[in-house]
Amino acid sequence: MSRTTNAVRVATYEECARVLADASERGQSVRIRGAGTKDYLGDSLDADIVLETGALSRIVAHVPADLTITVAAGTPFATVQRALGEVGQRLALDPPHASHATMGGIVAANSSGFWRARYGGVRDQLIGSTIALTDGSLARSGGRVVKNVAGYDLNKLLIGSLGTLGAIVECTFKVLPLPAASDGVRATFTRPGDAFAAADAVARTPARPVALVVDGKARDKWHLYVQSDGDPAAVARTCEIAAAAASGTGTAERDGAVADALAPLRELPAAAVGAVVRAALPPAAQPAFAHTATRVDGFARLVADAASGIVRVHVTGVDDDLVAAADALLAAARVCGGSARVERRPERLRARVAAWGDGDLPGLFLMQRLKAAFDPSGVLAPARGPVR
Amino acid sequence: MSATAVRAGLRGRELVDGLTRLLGPAKVLGTKEDLILYEYDGAVDTATPDAVVLPSDTSDVAAVARFCHEHHVPIVPRGAGTGLSGGAIPVEGGVVVSFARMARIIELDVPNRRAVVQPGLINLHLSTAAAPHGLYFVPDPSSQKACTLGGNVAENSGGPHTLAYGVTTNHVTGLEIVLADGTVVRLGGKAEDGEGYDLVGAFVGSEGTLGLVTEITVKLTPLPEDKRTLLAAFGSMDEASASVSAIIAAGIVPAAIEMLDALATEAVEAAVGAGYPLDAGGILLVEVDGLREGLDEAITRIEDICRANGATTLRRAASALERDRLWAGRKGAFAAMGRLAPAYYVQDGVIPRTRLPEVLRTIREVSARHGLRIANVFHAGDGNLHPLVLFSDVSELPRVHEAGLEILTACVEAGGSLTGEHGVGMEKNCYMPLQFAAADLAAMRRVKDAFDPAGLANPGKIFPTPGRCREFQLAATT
Repeated sequence: MSRTTNAVRVATYEECARVLADASERGQSVRIRGAGTKDYLGDSLDADIVLETGALSRIVAHVPADLTITVAAGTPFATVQRALGEVGQRLALDPPHASHATMGGIVAANSSGFWRARYGGVRDQLIGSTIALTDGSLARSGGRVVKNVAGYDLNKLLIGSLGTLGAIVECTFKVLPLPAASDGVRATFTRPGDAFAAADAVARTPARPVALVVDGKARDKWHLYVQSDGDPAAVARTCEIAAAAASGTGTAERDGAVADALAPLRELPAAAVGAVVRAALPPAAQPAFAHTATRVDGFARLVADAASGIVRVHVTGVDDDLVAAADALLAAARVCGGSARVERRPERLRARVAAWGDGDLPGLFLMQRLKAAFDPSGVLAPARGPVR
Repeated sequence: MSATAVRAGLRGRELVDGLTRLLGPAKVLGTKEDLILYEYDGAVDTATPDAVVLPSDTSDVAAVARFCHEHHVPIVPRGAGTGLSGGAIPVEGGVVVSFARMARIIELDVPNRRAVVQPGLINLHLSTAAAPHGLYFVPDPSSQKACTLGGNVAENSGGPHTLAYGVTTNHVTGLEIVLADGTVVRLGGKAEDGEGYDLVGAFVGSEGTLGLVTEITVKLTPLPEDKRTLLAAFGSMDEASASVSAIIAAGIVPAAIEMLDALATEAVEAAVGAGYPLDAGGILLVEVDGLREGLDEAITRIEDICRANGATTLRRAASALERDRLWAGRKGAFAAMGRLAPAYYVQDGVIPRTRLPEVLRTIREVSARHGLRIANVFHAGDGNLHPLVLFSDVSELPRVHEAGLEILTACVEAGGSLTGEHGVGMEKNCYMPLQFAAADLAAMRRVKDAFDPAGLANPGKIFPTPGRCREFQLAATT
């Protein structure tokens, strides 16, 4: 990092807003940091000020029978999940870095795991937010009720915004009862196309598994993991459906520990050495994308949330191979009708491998207008996200 | 109530002639007789457009928007006109863009479980077309036989089955929009997560104030294998409300939990004959769906909970026919109000589920205080009320609005929202300061200005307007 960075740990929402307003006035750039688990995301982290939200850690409101929870943004995910667990509830989110990540960071990074197969991602769980803006104001959107169309849904703009529009200081989420039962199926295939076909067959049924994950390593078998939660009889039937879907082209077995098998796959972006490309694809394009991915030099592993079309590819090798692989995978995602980003690469390649490549995003000019409207002096994470 | 506002820009004959030169006579309506057909929607406010256009494709829409932008004319999209907040009413005049001729399914993409549709497509037609493939479009507003997908996107519509499956925004992955200056922009696509800001998420529910939607990509969901539908009748609304809380507390999330009070039941039985017991003080309609396994157990647990909370009648639909009949009562409830009074004014406030009993009591007090009958038929599972204030004559409207405002104030004070699925429109824009501080509205205004700097996209909606809202502001400060 080329300049001296000043860390500011804010204690209140108002202080957070004041720090942003001062920085905006002085033209000092600001990076917002929760637990710092996802610093690898995006391009440059360079900033004059690191605004730390970790002290904004508090469960603001939780009425169990309302199935909602409101938390300050710096509250650790693990703290929230533990408090909910005590009354038999949970957030239906399974992000990576679950042991340290904060709720605000999960929102700002649009960090979701495999459960979106059934429950959707952050955008389907977040129902209200308060943000600190660079004019020193605090703005609320949504609320604490599960259904709400009063005014624009600013929550959606914050999700994945990487701290470029404002600092999230409080969020409200839907919560769900803990499931009565959980079980799973692990199936093994020789060809990736067969694993995806089996996943598709399950996704086409009303079984609604919690996770539907295809996993393949270089020179190895391909796996399909199906995790089902809920009523015991429905869970058993879902496992039967999954086993039947796999039986023609692979082998399947009931595996009550599927959730354990999924844990390291979820942490792929957190742990990978090398580069990780994350693609968001139309579901039916996954086999073609996987076919391309496996032929890229340095291909190490592919992990797909096959129900949602979110595919991560891990590549290893020398720098030139990583650069070439990232280019090829970004292009392949676009060709398949989706989009992609380089989610992680070695720090030494951060400047050389742009997270979003050189692709033009649809609606970029509107995103730039929004960025200018919320951050007119351009101080919030100025070179981190795709909108500059 | 007719609203008029003075504005600059092209009007009257000149505007109609200009649009006719642009699109040809078959796509433009401009006579008084034609225009008055477009002055209303499903709510109570009216305003007459200066012209109505019926585009056949995106380039028509873009051409109209460019023309309107050049001549400083407001542009207001309209689907089927079933909206309940005046969203399609040209409160400041201008051009109404009817999507009646853009009503096709462009692509039923079964492998991706997506459909690409035009905005004028009727909601139910999409699910009907997808059904042979074992798929459907989840949001099911009660007006789904008439309302359009474009309207659903504009209002972020819900319906009885959104408790477990989410509302429109949870099912839209891509949009083609036309900005008020005529720029055509594609947002998102068939994939779930794009890069950059989620503009699809920001646009859904923006009530035509950010632009016009010309193409929609939605998720299709596998049809449930089976369903169980239960009618539970109670002596009182309090018992019915307590049952809702107890069902949720037991860890069950049904596909739908709907509630009707005695007055709503009376209307439904007179109009539809759904078989609801007329002596009940409160009725719940509960549905569970999904895989066949576990449904009987879930509905039995729900029956036990209802019984423990005082249910006097419990009836499971024994056949698909009986289920349809039970739902016909609920979905036909608004229309059935005609049996009780010539007109109604419906509110759409949302409250945390646990506050149901007290807010329902407040509604009863409001009813008594104003001498207005109020029927309740609503989405109890997600706390989305629909009090229907019945009246006979427009002269009663000030009193009706006053009653509505008192109910909404109670909803907001209980920690809720002004609207759960009908939208703010021109009906509740003056009330937005009840729920949002000036800084909140200012942040939303930044989004508006980014999409529509000239302020021509459906003006007079969502945000309080100085002219029309002055009276309310005065009332609020005294």
